[in-house]
This record gives sequence, C-alpha cells and structure tokens, in this order.
Amino acid sequence: MSTITTVQTDPGSGAPGLVSRIYGVLRGIPMWVLWGFVVLWSLPTVGLFVSGFRERDAQRSTGWWQFRFGDLTLDNYQTIFDSQGFSTSLLNSMAISIPATIIPIAIAAFAAYGFAWIDFKGRKGLFIMTVALLAVPLQVALLPLLQLWNNGAHYTVPWIEKTVTVVPNFGFGGETTAVWLTHTGFGLPFAIFLLHNYISSLPKDVFEAARIDGADHFTIFWRLVLPLSIPVLAAFAIFQFLWTWNDFLIANTMVATNPDARPTTILIASLAGDFGRNEFLLPAAAFIQSFFPLVVFFALQRYFVRGLLAGSVKG
Amino acid sequence: MEFLSRLLGTLITVVIAVGASAGIWVVANLIVNQVKIDWSRYRALTLGLLGFFGGVLLSGNLITRYSGPADGALAKFGYWVWLPLLTGLGAAAVGYFLGRVEAPTTRLAIGAGGLAALGVFAGAMVRNQYRPEIEIGWLAVCTIVGAAIAAVPALLRRRSPVAGALIGAAAGWVVGAWGVPDHGAGSAGWTIVAMAVPPALIGARLALGTIPGETHRSLIDQRARAIVFIGPALLFIFGALVVPALRTLLLSLKSRDSSEFVWFDNYADIFRDENSWNPANWTDTFTSRLFWIGLILLVAFVILGAMGRRQTGRTVELGSPSMGPLVVGGFLVSLAVFSTVRGTIANNLWWVVVVTLLSTAVGLAIAVLADGARFEKVAKSLVFMPMAISMVGASVIWRFMYVARDSSTEQTGVMNGIWVGLGRLSTGEKVASTLLVAVLIITLAAGVIRRVADRNWIGAGIAVAVGIAGVLVLNWLWNLLDPEALRIVVGVVISLVFVGLVVAVARALVKRTHARAVLPGVVALALGWFLIRYWQIIGGGVGGQRVNSGGRQVPDPINFIQEPPFNNMWLMVVLIWIQTGFAMVILSAAIKAVPTELIEAAKVDGATTSQVFWRVTLPQVGTTIGVVVTTLMVLVMKVYDIVQVLTNGNFGTQVLANNMFNETFSNRDFGIGSALAMLIFVSVLPIIYMNIRRMQKEA
Repeated sequence: MSTITTVQTDPGSGAPGLVSRIYGVLRGIPMWVLWGFVVLWSLPTVGLFVSGFRERDAQRSTGWWQFRFGDLTLDNYQTIFDSQGFSTSLLNSMAISIPATIIPIAIAAFAAYGFAWIDFKGRKGLFIMTVALLAVPLQVALLPLLQLWNNGAHYTVPWIEKTVTVVPNFGFGGETTAVWLTHTGFGLPFAIFLLHNYISSLPKDVFEAARIDGADHFTIFWRLVLPLSIPVLAAFAIFQFLWTWNDFLIANTMVATNPDARPTTILIASLAGDFGRNEFLLPAAAFIQSFFPLVVFFALQRYFVRGLLAGSVKG
Repeated sequence: MEFLSRLLGTLITVVIAVGASAGIWVVANLIVNQVKIDWSRYRALTLGLLGFFGGVLLSGNLITRYSGPADGALAKFGYWVWLPLLTGLGAAAVGYFLGRVEAPTTRLAIGAGGLAALGVFAGAMVRNQYRPEIEIGWLAVCTIVGAAIAAVPALLRRRSPVAGALIGAAAGWVVGAWGVPDHGAGSAGWTIVAMAVPPALIGARLALGTIPGETHRSLIDQRARAIVFIGPALLFIFGALVVPALRTLLLSLKSRDSSEFVWFDNYADIFRDENSWNPANWTDTFTSRLFWIGLILLVAFVILGAMGRRQTGRTVELGSPSMGPLVVGGFLVSLAVFSTVRGTIANNLWWVVVVTLLSTAVGLAIAVLADGARFEKVAKSLVFMPMAISMVGASVIWRFMYVARDSSTEQTGVMNGIWVGLGRLSTGEKVASTLLVAVLIITLAAGVIRRVADRNWIGAGIAVAVGIAGVLVLNWLWNLLDPEALRIVVGVVISLVFVGLVVAVARALVKRTHARAVLPGVVALALGWFLIRYWQIIGGGVGGQRVNSGGRQVPDPINFIQEPPFNNMWLMVVLIWIQTGFAMVILSAAIKAVPTELIEAAKVDGATTSQVFWRVTLPQVGTTIGVVVTTLMVLVMKVYDIVQVLTNGNFGTQVLANNMFNETFSNRDFGIGSALAMLIFVSVLPIIYMNIRRMQKEA
C-alpha cells in the first residue's frame, strides 16, 4: 500500500539530470505493481487456454509456456464433444440457466414493485424478512429440497396416523427442472433486493401523474416501471446467469446421479476426479465451460458492475 | 439431429414455463381490475375460480365419478374437466348475485343455499370407496376447534368473531369429515352432508358481508394487488428456503435415517470428533517462525498505538500507522495458530480469515493503484475476469498451476516451474539467464506498449529491434560463461539492487521522511533474506532444490495440494484469485465517490498525497470495506466447490460445506449432515443480523 507514497510525490524537487530520471522511474513503480498484479491474475487463465490446444503427451512432458506453435491442435476439443457427452451437458446447462434466469426476473419484478409502491400492512417487516434471507447458506435447504423433488412432501399427522400429501411427486427428481426450480427460489431474495433498490428510487411524481390519469397498478407496472427498469433487469439477468451457469453445489445435489441431466460443471468435476485418465481433456473442457460466461461478462460488464455495486450482500 | 431436437425440447419447455407463469399473473391482475370496475363481476370471477379449483381437487384425485379415462362414454372427452367447469360456473353464478343483491336474508339464501347445492351435487358424485365413515364426536371436535382458532384474531381486535369462525368451522369440518375417518363404508347421505357443509359455511360467510362502497373497494383492490404482486415471490421463497430450512433444523435433531429424535447428539458428535476440532498440537504454535514474527509486529503495534494515542487520542483507527502492524501481525499469528490447531471447523475459520483479509487488501491495493492510471479499465477488467469463471473451472485452472511432477522430470505447473527454477538459479544453471532475459523482454514490452499508446510507431519499432538484439546478445553472452561464474554475476546484480534499497532507506531515515522508508525497507528485508540464502550464508540455496544423499543438488518440487497444513493456503489462493476482483470493483467505486472537495481541502491544508490517502480517502471508504468484508465472510463460510474439486477434503483440507455434502449425500447420515448445515447457518447469523439492522436504518 505504501506504493502510493511514491506515486504522486513531487518529481525532481528541483534536482536535474540523473536524480530526476531516477525519480521518473520511481514514479512509475505503482504502474509496474499494478500491471504485475494484472499479469499475475491473467496468467492462470492464459495457461489454461494454451494447454487446451496441446496434446496429451505435450501437456505431460513440458510446461505450457514451452509450447510450440506447430504442436497446437484442436484434437482435445474434438474429443470432448465426440466422446465425453459434452454437447449434452452444454445443453443441460442452458436448460438450467435460461429458465432460472428469466423466471426469477419476472417474479422478482412483481414483488419489488409491490414492496416499493403498493401500500399494505406489514410491508416493511415482510420486505426486511425477505431480504434477510439473502445471506442464508443454501446448504440449509438442500436435503429437504432434494427429498421434495424426489418424493414430494408428505406429512403424517400424529395421533390419527394418517399421511397427507402436501406436495405430490411431480417426477422432477434428477431432472434439470429440479435444478432451475431450486435456483429460482434461491435467487429471489437477491433479485427482489436489487430490483427494489432501483424501482423504489424511481421518481414519485411519475407514479402520481399516472394514478391521476386513472392508471391502476397493473398498467403502471407494465407500461411505466418495466420499461424504466431495463438496466437493472439486465444487471440481475447477468448475475443470475453467471450464478446458475457456474453453479456446482445445487446441480451436484439434484442431478449428479442422472448422466443425461448433468450440466457442464459436473462433467468437468467428474473428469477431474477420475484419477488423471482424462486429465489432458480438462483444459479444453474448462475453457468451453467458461466461454459463455466470459462472453457475457465482457460484453455486458457495465451492467454486471452496476448490479454488483447495488447489491453486494448476496448470500 | 438428436442435439437439435433436444435443443428444441428445451426451448419449448422454457417458453411454456415462462408463458404460463406470465399468463396466470396477467389474468390475476385482470381479475383484480374488476374490483373497481364491476364488483359483481369480480365476485363471480373469484368465486368461480374457487369452485373450479374445488372441482379440480375432487376430479383430479379421482374422488368423483366419471373423472377418469376409464369411466365410459361421458368420460371420453375432458373427463377431468367437466366437474370443475360445472362447479366453477355454479359458484360464479352465486358470486354474481352476491355482488348484486343487498337484502341480508336473500343474500344468505343465495350464498349458503347456492354453494350448498353445489356441494350436494358433488357429494352425490363421490365414488363409493371414498365415502367417509363419519364419527360424530371427532367431527364436532374438529369443527369447534377450527372455529375457535379462526375466531381468535378477530376477538383480539375486538371485532365480531362470526365471520372468522365460519371459515374456521368449514376448515375444521373438512378435516373432521374427510381427514380423520376411514373411507369406503360410509353412507351416501352422510357423504352428501359432509360435502355440502363446508361450501355452505363459506357461502354464509360471504353473504354476511355487504357490497363494499367506493373507498372500501379501493382498499380491497390494494390488498388483492399486493397479494398478486408479492404472493408468487413469497410462495417460492417459503417453499425453497424457509420451510426447507426449518425441516433441516428438525432433521438435525433426529437420527441418521430421521426415524427417531436424538436431540443434540448430532451436534455433540460433531464437536467431539477429532476431525472437526483437534487442538492436540497447539503448543507447536510457539515454535513456529510465523508466530514470533507476528508477535514482534504486534509489539510494534502496541508501541505505535501508544504513540498514536498521545497524538490523536486513539490507539488504532483506519489509516493510522498502528493499523499495519496490527493487521499483519494478527494475520501471521492466526496463520501460526491455524496451522497447528487442525480440524474442519478450524479450517473454515482459517479460510474466513485468510480469504477475507487478502481479497480485501489486494482488492483495495489494485483499486488504488488503478485509480486514474492509464488503461485503468483494461487492468481492472482483467483482474475482475475470474469472477465470471465458475469455481469448478477456477479449481481446474489452479490444479494445473499446482501440478507437481517427479523431481527427475521437467515441471509442468507454473508454480513448481518457478520454484524449481529458483532452485536452479542458486546453482547457476541457465535458468538465471532465462529469468534475466524475461525481465528484459517485459521491460521492453512495456516500452513498446507505451510508445504504441503514444502513437510513436517509429519508437515502438526501435524498441522491438533493441529487444530482439538484446536477447540475442545476452543469450550468446550467457552461453560463454560457466555455471559458477553465472551464479556470481546474477548474485552481484541482485546484491547491488539490495545495497541501493538500503541506501534509500537510510536516506529516508536521515531526512526523517519515515513513510518513504517503508516500501524500500520491506523490499530490502525480503531481498536480504533471499541473498542470505542465495550466497548460502544460512541454509543451502534458494527455492526448490535439495542436496541428495550422493551430495548432488537435485530439484525439489512442492506438492502444493497434498502437503498439510499449508495446502489449505494454496486452496484459498483460488478463492482469493476469484474474489479480489469483487473487492476491487466495489472499493474502486467507493474511492471514486469520495467527494473531491474533501481531498482539495486536505491538500490546501498542506497534506501530502500519502496523508490524503491514509487520513481522508481510507476512512471515507471504511463502511464500504465493512460491506465487502461481511459479504466475503458469508461467501467463504460456504466454500465448497474448490475443496471438492481439488482435494475432496483429503490431506487435512476438509471444510464444513464439503463435509456436510459428503455426510448427507455420500454417507447418507441425514442427522449429522443437517447438523453441519445448521452450523454453517448459525455461523452467518451475526452477519444476517447486521444486514437487517443496516436495512432498518436505511428504510
């Protein structure tokens, strides 16, 4: 941190020649440190990228920094798509993250508007309770949810010894549906928090003017709030997409046993776990897995950062 | 082709799911719109829907006749939907009249009578095997209890309890008449009565109300709208979070297959287990070098704090000189403690301390360094990029960084490449030259970038040419020298840098500009240690090499992932790599939001830039640092993916979340697994509480 001392010290203090040149170099130190960090932070990803194009034997005998252009090949990519079921898992990842992004947006937008602009008793308490759930660790809900998707929910009433079916078994067990439904529930507190921050700060006059013109809440929401909130909806969409695409815990709980429903993260983890037999495929697989989030990230970074700044308390 | 059809199937599912939910929601809104437009239409629609769902419940569960596909001619078309349509239409008619007629007796006749008639019809349609064998006693008890419970809220508010009691009685009746008794041998008459009473009671409740006036209707609109807007979210949150969490609490008090209550035995087992908390070797803390360095720093903190107290009245504050030794010293001592006190819980705490502290510190450093620098955005988004990569992907990336190969072969992981390379450096092998060439190349590359940025194309070209020439010349030069000479050349160069740094420190101390002595001082200390090893004054050389039994120096790679206890730190590096970007983005925004007037004012008062940073900017971003720290703590407490992929908890790296997963889903011990989940939950409770407090203040 004390590098900052050197960054903006007065150059030269009048000394000419060599001394001021040395000062010039010293003044550059913070920049060097910064770019040192940048290199340090991108080096692992670069290494992965290069390794992905190297053959098994090359990967095993020398470090990626010793690669030769002639040796680079697309074989690894060919292999993971042909024999490792990668295309299925990519599809599963989409089948999970697309509904798990769109549906919470809709539900949370309704709720955020409700909490912000509809007057009802207990509004504040209910809102704080909802948002307090942000930091609740997901582990606490995993096992009951798995049981719910696999068996439905049944309750045996004490004394009369009768079993009541509270939720029937919809057959979601081991399907991607179970994963995105779970994501929807888990993502909502954060979504409501983020969207509420934005929607509640919209100017009040707009709403009053619309109300005087006879618009009801539905019209106001549909015609006014939704178009105005596009930026924050985008912010949340990116967030939720990255979160669901990259999720491992929930998918591993819900669909790990069903090879047809496994998303990319599980496939990669299982490649990593099979005692090094397919280790050489890992860089290519991990790179494809990260490709979509990276594209989304670099294309829409502005929105992502906005979402991060507005809601840095996600649990 | 299979891929395409699956893609299509996925898309169709998504469209249906999204379309259906949106459709239901819009329809609900349109119905609520009718509150203000036409009350009787609203009543008809809501009651109609209620009747429809009642019918669905009956025919969907095959309780009524002609509701299954095997029930004959009538059942051929829409076998499950004819009854719901009928009850729906009937209820809608009742609702319509209730919305029109004002005379109380007529209302009662229409409401109770109309819905009872529907109930009689439905009761007559019940299949024989579902006829309840009603026990009057139970029925009466259930009905009265239901009515009493539902009447309480109204009584508490000193209002008439009749309305609530009617609904409660209806619910109690359903339980008493359909839930309690056995089915099959009941009489047809009782079945009809059992089916007709609840709708009659509901009808009576509706008939007791009057047609609301203008203001009352807008109140109803408000309330119904709140339910339509917020209901779906609450439903999901309750279903996916609140209720499951409560069930986990229940399961954590039960045995491994949830068959009987064991109360707190699971928790006791966790704390008794050596794998979760093992302080047996805690005395080793005092023999560790880290502990003593940390202690010295803490002593320095006490001295600096006492000095600061005399000047400013505070022992420690954000940005005061005593802050640095406190944080670094405390950090080192905690490392010493966590490397001797082992176990899952200790590991989790270790993760929290290290990842939170380092991510925040490095994030803050990068945010400050990048502020106003050239290519600020590029630098920041490259540091930020790991945030977009999954933790599984990040673990794979770092797994390749950490690869350790047998010492007889070449290292393929970057970390061991550097480590073993350092070892070769001290034996004077050609690695030294490679290192210097790399430095030269980086320097020249920076020069080239700067000239390109200035659009000085000729300068850039010259820099490239000089670079290539320099590398070639150096390479030729190194090849002339023998290893020992090379080692001495490299050593002398590094020693000169060391001497320069010492001179800089001395100059700063003589001039009494103590702040400027800090950075060169720290670097000089590190470099001094390096040189002591390099010239083999203490120990045998630098980096990954050792002298084997034959007296020869051989490479000695580190097995980063498998050597406890510090393999934990190498796993933490992965999360730090990801989360530093997060800390940086938030803190960078906070730094940019510090009002310029404040900084200007400090400068006018004669503060130097470093004073401005430590005394003005840093205290201003204090709350943001707090937010970053709490967010990271919650996140780190739940760390799972990284440990699962890199070690699966082996080699002394187990953490709570991974342990929870293994216990629950591999070992199928639901009791211990749930208790572990509750432990994670309890450990973040203080932070949840803080969040609530903060929100209450903001609201």
